[in-house]
Amino acid sequence: MTGGTSLDEILGAELGGNCASPYDSPAARWLLGGELHPGGDALTRRLAHLAGVRRGWRVLDVASGRGPTARLLASELGAEVTGVELSPESIAAARREAEAAGLGDRVRFVEGDAEALPVASGAFDAVVCECALCLFSGKAQAVAEMRRALQPGGVVAIADVTAELEDLPASLRGAVARVACVGEALPRDGYAEMLGDAGFELVASESHDGALAAMTERVEARLRVARMLLPADSSARLIGEAIELVGEAQRAIVAGSLGYQLLVARTSTPARRAN
Amino acid sequence: MEAATRRESHDSVFLELTRSICPVCRRDVEAEVAAREGRVYLRKRCADHGAFEALVYGDAERYVAIQRYNKPGDRPLRLQTEVVDGCPRDCGICPEHKQHTCLGIIEVNTACNLDCPICFAESGSGHQPDGYSLSLEQVEQMLDAFVEAEGEPEAIQLSGGEPSIHPQILEMLAAAKARGIKLVMLNTNGIRLARDPRFAPALAEIGVHVYLQFDGFKDSTHLAIRGRRLQEEKLRALDRCAHAGVGVSLAAAVERGVNDDEVGEIVSFGVGHPAVTGVFFQPVTHSGRFLDFDPRERLTNSDVIDAIARQLPHWFRRDDFVPVPCCSPTCRSATYALYDGEDLVPLPRLVDVDEYLDYVTNRAVPDVDVRTALEGLFSASAAGGTERTGERLECVACGVGLPAELQEVAAKGFMVVIQDFQDPYTLDVRKLRKCCVAEIVPDGRLIPFCAYNSVGYREQVRADLSATAGNGAR
Repeated sequence: MTGGTSLDEILGAELGGNCASPYDSPAARWLLGGELHPGGDALTRRLAHLAGVRRGWRVLDVASGRGPTARLLASELGAEVTGVELSPESIAAARREAEAAGLGDRVRFVEGDAEALPVASGAFDAVVCECALCLFSGKAQAVAEMRRALQPGGVVAIADVTAELEDLPASLRGAVARVACVGEALPRDGYAEMLGDAGFELVASESHDGALAAMTERVEARLRVARMLLPADSSARLIGEAIELVGEAQRAIVAGSLGYQLLVARTSTPARRAN
Repeated sequence: MEAATRRESHDSVFLELTRSICPVCRRDVEAEVAAREGRVYLRKRCADHGAFEALVYGDAERYVAIQRYNKPGDRPLRLQTEVVDGCPRDCGICPEHKQHTCLGIIEVNTACNLDCPICFAESGSGHQPDGYSLSLEQVEQMLDAFVEAEGEPEAIQLSGGEPSIHPQILEMLAAAKARGIKLVMLNTNGIRLARDPRFAPALAEIGVHVYLQFDGFKDSTHLAIRGRRLQEEKLRALDRCAHAGVGVSLAAAVERGVNDDEVGEIVSFGVGHPAVTGVFFQPVTHSGRFLDFDPRERLTNSDVIDAIARQLPHWFRRDDFVPVPCCSPTCRSATYALYDGEDLVPLPRLVDVDEYLDYVTNRAVPDVDVRTALEGLFSASAAGGTERTGERLECVACGVGLPAELQEVAAKGFMVVIQDFQDPYTLDVRKLRKCCVAEIVPDGRLIPFCAYNSVGYREQVRADLSATAGNGAR
């Protein structure tokens, strides 16, 4: 990112908005400090470790964004990664960044919908989906598609926000909350149940609520800095409201009604399914 | 009675074997660092004076975790001594030392216009039969020795005694500036600044940063630590600095039960005062003169960090304080904060400092320039509000994609430092070997500060200088 961009350009009118691909907006990227999911690279490494990703594995990254996970899996673990992403702008940026990192031959990005993956059946050893399943309205369909993309015995690795929706204040269930991964998130047991229904066997699950808390703290810090810089006009009021919302989220994390989970599950092999 | 058949567990986790000194006779003794009930202690035994135990870090988990901030040190351009008797007897700097000198200190005199109950330098009247006052020529030679060892020294502090009462202090400060030393500090109690209206403008003209003794606000704090109520003079000194455009770091000696309840107020006062660009908290060094204390309950860095977080919860939490990598990471922690008079946001919440300053995991860092800037910021040679600090904060802000306006605010970063200097109770040669704060002495040696105060170097240098100066104490 460039140091010359002004805050106005970065934030623009987007703070109150709700665009189709919120994580592609400069405002969101700035607020999240380049780390678009809780735990950053460290938690991506943890997820890949739990999934057992190894050199030469064919990995599908669903909702790959600008490709940081795809690049990490390729550069650190030697995987061959295909990223599927809805936003053409993100795809273009992902391709540029992969090329710049010298990974052009090991990662590729395809425009497509998670509910109708543009990939062949049984073509992957693993599917990774980080902090994105919560955004999909057709979650069961997306999980069925992931299963279709995997070869028998393949693993799905999911990192996502969990929310006990009935315990959350109304503010955290609103439109902005949907963008912030909260509104459509499942409760703690929700993802495991959904994977079980789709014919997966759970291999590992870990709670990382602290990573989510750390992310909200980073967002809060950046919002507070933005408030320092802006004149006390309407945009400053919007920022004030956003700070309130982040505070609500922090209290919900402490209360246990918001969290972050890593899950790894394996497709049951045909032999075991016959039992 | 039957013989015991069940083994008993030790009461502590043995962490490190090291060497220290007997606080009574100062001879070298072996020492153990161990964690017990969540705190870290240094234990040792002298054949003549028995066992000693001192608290060295109030948070064992953090003590262990922050070792990853231990940056490989730089070799100085020039060494002054050879290895003869082993650490800590060959100081000056010897070939076994692991770090160059980030901050040099010259004590220009032993005389003082105060007579504090707490003084690691044993200054003031009537305590010592001898004393000295360096000449300008001596100080110039010492500055030259520092430049020879460092090339381009980052920071120097002229201290004492009370350096502001030395008749040639301005010439000495100018001599340091003339040698290109980037940060030239005067360590002072502020009395001359308060009383002499020409002093602050003179410092401004030379470009001096003031390191002002400032222990708190309560009368009881002033009386316990300084023996006099000094509040009015401190405030007048600060206002004169603000008026003259002199940047000030407040330096608080903190003692458990005396002023550890005032650390938050000192920070918020500093944030609100136009002259103040940072605060340095120093748990009291139990060397020279000090109050009665229990070495096992002494104040440590983690205790001060906890106190700041507890007293200013809307601004700080514990992990806003970054272990400083140039020295041993348990010796110094620091943070920078962006502030606008109403709100304050610590820099580590905007940039993941761990990504850059973890030297043990040794991963590739996202941006080498940002790491270099962070190393400069989290160093014993840094102070808030200086040009160098502003440049480095700008580099970090730009490197992590903060907007242009923020880079301007970043240049106003307020610095908060917690530095635990060692004393004869806590001295650990493992830390001492990486010390990057050195006393420059007239024969050109650079003696690590904690060795200077603990092992006997201070007494030697004072005796030598007093003798050669023909009882030259003022």
